[in-house]
Amino acid sequence: MSNYIRVCDVEKYYGNGSNVTKAVDRVSFSVEKGEFVGVMGASGSGKTTLLNMLATIDRVTAGHIYYEDTDITELKEDALSEFRKSNLGFVFQEYNLLDTLTIEENIILALTLQGGKKKQIQEECEQMLRLLGIGDVREKFPYQVSGGQKQRCACARAMVNHPKLLLADEPTGALDSRSAQILLETFTNLNRTMGATILMVTHDAFSASYCSRILFLKDGRIFHELVRGQKSRKVFLQEILDVLSLTGGELSDAR
Amino acid sequence: MLGKLAWRNMKRSARDYLVYILTMTVVTALMYAFNSLIFQNVLTGYFELEGMMEMMIGLATFFIVLIVAWLINYMVKFMLEKRSSEFGIYLLLGMKKKTVSRLYMRENLLLGGASFLLGILFGLLVQQVLMAVMFAMVRMEYHLSVSLNKWTILMTVLCYMGCYLLALFRCKRKFKKMNIHDLMNAKRRNEEIKEKREGAKRILFPLSVLFIFAFWTIFSMMNNAGEIALFLIGLVLTIYLFYMGISAWIICYVRKKGNGIYRGQNLFLLRQFASKVRTMQFTMGTLTALFTIALMGASVALMFSDYENTVLDDKFPFDVQVYSSQVQDDFADEIAVLKENTEPLDIYPYHIYTDQENQVNTWMLTHLRAWGAMYRNEDGSPDMAEIEEELKSGGTYCTYDTYMGLSDYNHLRQMLGREKAVLGAGEYLVQIKPRLADEVKDIGKDLKIADASGKGYLSCAGICSDPFSQDGHNGGDYVIIVPDEVLGRMQPYYSELAADIRGDAPGDLCRKLDDLTEEGERDFVGHAVPELAGNSCCGSDNIISYTADNLVRDNLIPEVKYMLASLIIPLFYIGLVFVCVAVTVLSVQQLSDSAKYKFRYDVLAKLGLERREIRHMILKQLAAYYLCPALFAIVISGKMILSMSKGFVVMTGVPVPSGTFFIKSIALFFGIYLVYYVVTYIGFRRNVEEMR
Repeated sequence: MSNYIRVCDVEKYYGNGSNVTKAVDRVSFSVEKGEFVGVMGASGSGKTTLLNMLATIDRVTAGHIYYEDTDITELKEDALSEFRKSNLGFVFQEYNLLDTLTIEENIILALTLQGGKKKQIQEECEQMLRLLGIGDVREKFPYQVSGGQKQRCACARAMVNHPKLLLADEPTGALDSRSAQILLETFTNLNRTMGATILMVTHDAFSASYCSRILFLKDGRIFHELVRGQKSRKVFLQEILDVLSLTGGELSDAR
Repeated sequence: MLGKLAWRNMKRSARDYLVYILTMTVVTALMYAFNSLIFQNVLTGYFELEGMMEMMIGLATFFIVLIVAWLINYMVKFMLEKRSSEFGIYLLLGMKKKTVSRLYMRENLLLGGASFLLGILFGLLVQQVLMAVMFAMVRMEYHLSVSLNKWTILMTVLCYMGCYLLALFRCKRKFKKMNIHDLMNAKRRNEEIKEKREGAKRILFPLSVLFIFAFWTIFSMMNNAGEIALFLIGLVLTIYLFYMGISAWIICYVRKKGNGIYRGQNLFLLRQFASKVRTMQFTMGTLTALFTIALMGASVALMFSDYENTVLDDKFPFDVQVYSSQVQDDFADEIAVLKENTEPLDIYPYHIYTDQENQVNTWMLTHLRAWGAMYRNEDGSPDMAEIEEELKSGGTYCTYDTYMGLSDYNHLRQMLGREKAVLGAGEYLVQIKPRLADEVKDIGKDLKIADASGKGYLSCAGICSDPFSQDGHNGGDYVIIVPDEVLGRMQPYYSELAADIRGDAPGDLCRKLDDLTEEGERDFVGHAVPELAGNSCCGSDNIISYTADNLVRDNLIPEVKYMLASLIIPLFYIGLVFVCVAVTVLSVQQLSDSAKYKFRYDVLAKLGLERREIRHMILKQLAAYYLCPALFAIVISGKMILSMSKGFVVMTGVPVPSGTFFIKSIALFFGIYLVYYVVTYIGFRRNVEEMR
């Protein structure tokens, strides 16, 4: 088993007494460094809960999550913030950009919160803007740019501190198909060029087909796993669709 | 159904806008308490100047109704904007626009009604405190008496309704113009940040600072109403320009990527502040104006209240003092009245003398700070034409210098329980008002007062600045004490009577003495006042000066205090309401923002900011919003208040440094401020942390 990220027998229950819902039920898996992992499942399958626990915004009921040698389930609140700041990057469906800041400033803020030097911050920001192709809208406010550009900005913000893991929760959920495709290509690019480790939650087979490995979640448990290997994306997509149709899972339009 | 919906919505709004309701309750309470001074004033009938309090409260009420109407209008509009999508849904469901608008009005009236009832209850308490303070001011005993007066309530209801009608009328028009799409989108609109021509707007910031400096210089030079009006218009414009400028300045700084933005959370804080100031620049300007007025009002009120606490008692050292312009007046009538109404321990008629020169008057007019260079030529020599004109008809000093014999002086000192003064044969003494003691130190060097023979000169034995009733009785500002034999070459100028009585004087003694004077020679409240006949004067006191033929200390001090109270109380009233209104607007703005934009803090938390850091940031952010209008108001009003209070100290002799009033009113103001700041911070934090 790789040492990078390990999820060991993680459980998450909601409610109490006789009215307990198992959102995540004894899930174990690991993520290799530089991997692009997808988590698929229908609504209510527990995929977002799992992501939140990995993201340290939610606590596990039982089990452990290790980032290399750190067990984040043992960390206190302040230590968690510190951990989050230096190890994790987030991309959400709702972009979550700060509306009072321009595209460029959103990225700068992520860097200044880490406490860097001006020159270094400027360079890193510049590099990210170029890499994600949003240099021409840097001066604009989030409300002035398209959803795709917003999401790429969120990506840039998440990646700019070189996190151990980039967590993406339905990142293409609010995007049109063209923007979604660009974003997913960006993810692939980041994964390849920067060696970013990405964990993406989605219920969209098309989005999932960009991953190198997919975990299928149902009723809080992992019931299947697909590895892309050397297969082309189209073949991989077909495999995903097959799994979904087999389980009667949600099908989105397979583009 | 509609009623139920309105009730439920009202309850929800009440939770969201607790600060607003608190303020409305406080405002109602203040309104009730101060209105009760008009209708339930137990002191009515005791004082001759009683109309003044009513008039001043009425005047204050007028401004307060306007400002409170602005607050309500602001809040109603604000809540409408926050809930516009909800109203859009009502309309979408098929409710008529009229019904929705009526629902909203009903909610607001319920909210207003609730705070009104609470306010009246609280007002009963405030009223008792206010009455107790008033009674203490005029030195009377107050017995608690809680009662609701229908006229006070009616007046409060009318004021309150006036505020609401003014506010809701405008809101109704706004409702009429809206359509479903606008309503659904109203919320989104104010998130857009418009940045245009920031470079040009940035100039407004240094420009407005420059204007403020200019206004500071102009302030002390203003002479007439036209200039003052222009000054005020300019000032208000400058305040608005400042806010336009400052947000543009910050935006430009951030865009230019100044070094500051690369430190910690500065970028976020600066942007937050700039965008908030941009969207509410007009409101911020209005708040600054309100704070400025409140600060100035409170300072002036403090000046007067300091005066009555420190100076007033010294103004009337004698129990009774009577002036007569006739030198042969034997005061037979006055003595009869005194004997009839009081138990006199000592009654002493005497004369003030003159040598028909005006060297002392000239010295005073050319040397006192109060006159500046008014009576001096450019080369510093006395402007005799101006001085003679003033002495003839000005009334500050008598036409000629005033003198008193040593034996009269010592008799009067004895009456006041002071030691006798000792003068050598060739000496004189300057008896001066306490506040002028420092200014006349050198007077002895310049005066040339002839001795009894008229051949030699007397030398100055010293200056005495004990309180000695020198607002026209024992001279105006000064009287020169000379050995009795020197009086031989002088003439009696006017007559005086001083009396020492056992216990307190009866409440109507002053009126009885005034009644001895013919009606034509009395002022509008019935006091006998001296004619301007050359041998009467009032001294150089300004702002507050009290001159009358008959002074009865126990009658006058409460009366002057009551008069001052009718200035002080309305000023505090206005100051309090204005500050409360202004901080409420700030608080409500921030609290609703914290609910609306809590995702911002959530994002920051995801970016790795600890809870402690976020709290610290909220604290800083709120401090910036709160301090900006307050500090700006302090800067604007500071210079004006300081020069006003400097004038006040010079003119009235209040024995405190002139900055005291300003500092005290800032302290008072920040007390209220702090309460709202803490409440807002707690609410803000709760809203932001709720989600996580």
